Amino acid sequence: MYCYVYDEFVSDRRFEKELARIENRLVDLGIAGKVIRLALFRNAEEMIRDEIERGASTVVAVGNDETVRKILDVVADSGVVFGLIPLGTPNNFAKLIGVPDGAASCDTLSARIVETVDIGTINGRRFITGVSVPAFKADLTVEDRYRIFATGKGSLEILNLSGADPCDGKLETVIRVGVRRGVWPFARKHVGESVLPLSAMAIRSETPFAVYADGMEMTGTRFDIGVEPHRFRLITGKQRQFNA
Amino acid sequence: MFNRNSQPMAHNEHETIIAQGVKVEGDFDSKGSVSIDGEVTGSVRTAQALRVGEAARIHADVSAQTAVIAGEVRGNLRVADRLELLETANIQGDIEAQVFSVAPGARVNGRVNMGGTATVDTGEAE
Repeated sequence: MYCYVYDEFVSDRRFEKELARIENRLVDLGIAGKVIRLALFRNAEEMIRDEIERGASTVVAVGNDETVRKILDVVADSGVVFGLIPLGTPNNFAKLIGVPDGAASCDTLSARIVETVDIGTINGRRFITGVSVPAFKADLTVEDRYRIFATGKGSLEILNLSGADPCDGKLETVIRVGVRRGVWPFARKHVGESVLPLSAMAIRSETPFAVYADGMEMTGTRFDIGVEPHRFRLITGKQRQFNA
Repeated sequence: MFNRNSQPMAHNEHETIIAQGVKVEGDFDSKGSVSIDGEVTGSVRTAQALRVGEAARIHADVSAQTAVIAGEVRGNLRVADRLELLETANIQGDIEAQVFSVAPGARVNGRVNMGGTATVDTGEAE
């Protein structure tokens, strides 16, 4: 049984025609289901949990990246299959998992290629794509055994779905640091790229710094990052940008 | 959300790369192969291949299945299988390996033990 979660903004007039096309296509494919509409002061998680208890086995987000973020926790906790009908922008997550925009995504849903991927956690909050720290001046401590730090200006990316294998139980940790190679005046700038497959780490700094988990900004002096292996079941398209 | 500029990276599965500009302190171990061009202090252990680049500076005891070294290692080297020192290698410590090859120009200051029986004291090898 399918449960469709419409984000608040899809009731906007500009999506009226596309939404009608989507609903017709879902009926044609025989995968229409219960619709839940997200709204201010409505507890999305509670509504979705109720539908799962009533037998929904697939929860489909109808909206953009923000919609995915709103329902990620409840879907991951319940173990049901997640689907996406991209509507509006930004919809970068849809591109990553190979789901086309609008009504065309109904056929991807119907084809039902289900992959089980890892999910990351940062200070208890889940993320699916990755975490980035654009100005990385902090220490990265790995399981209290060793610490890693950049000797110059650098950036840090912790990847799950994007550019990494999301089914290996690891997060690809990429540190990019600008370094000079050669002797003056022939020295050239070069970016050193360190890659570490890690399953648990902490980023610490004495001064507060910003991290972006699935694009959402978080500020603090310590972030504990981990991975929940094979936690999230999602419907992907053939054009997905990761290897499962 | 979901950074669109993220680009897929091309490297081997579970390979750890410590590039220039990064320093590691502590007991570093890996189940996959390791490539080091940065700085490491403490200890380095890998169950697979280790590659130490020309720019790398390692102040640590090192153990690996196989190793190719072109940089500086201050510490004992324990290689279960094959150890290869390239021209620019500079080892300040004892070496233990089954198979050992040294390129002309490589520097070794320490004891060399091969196959668990042979022990060779070396000064500076050219």
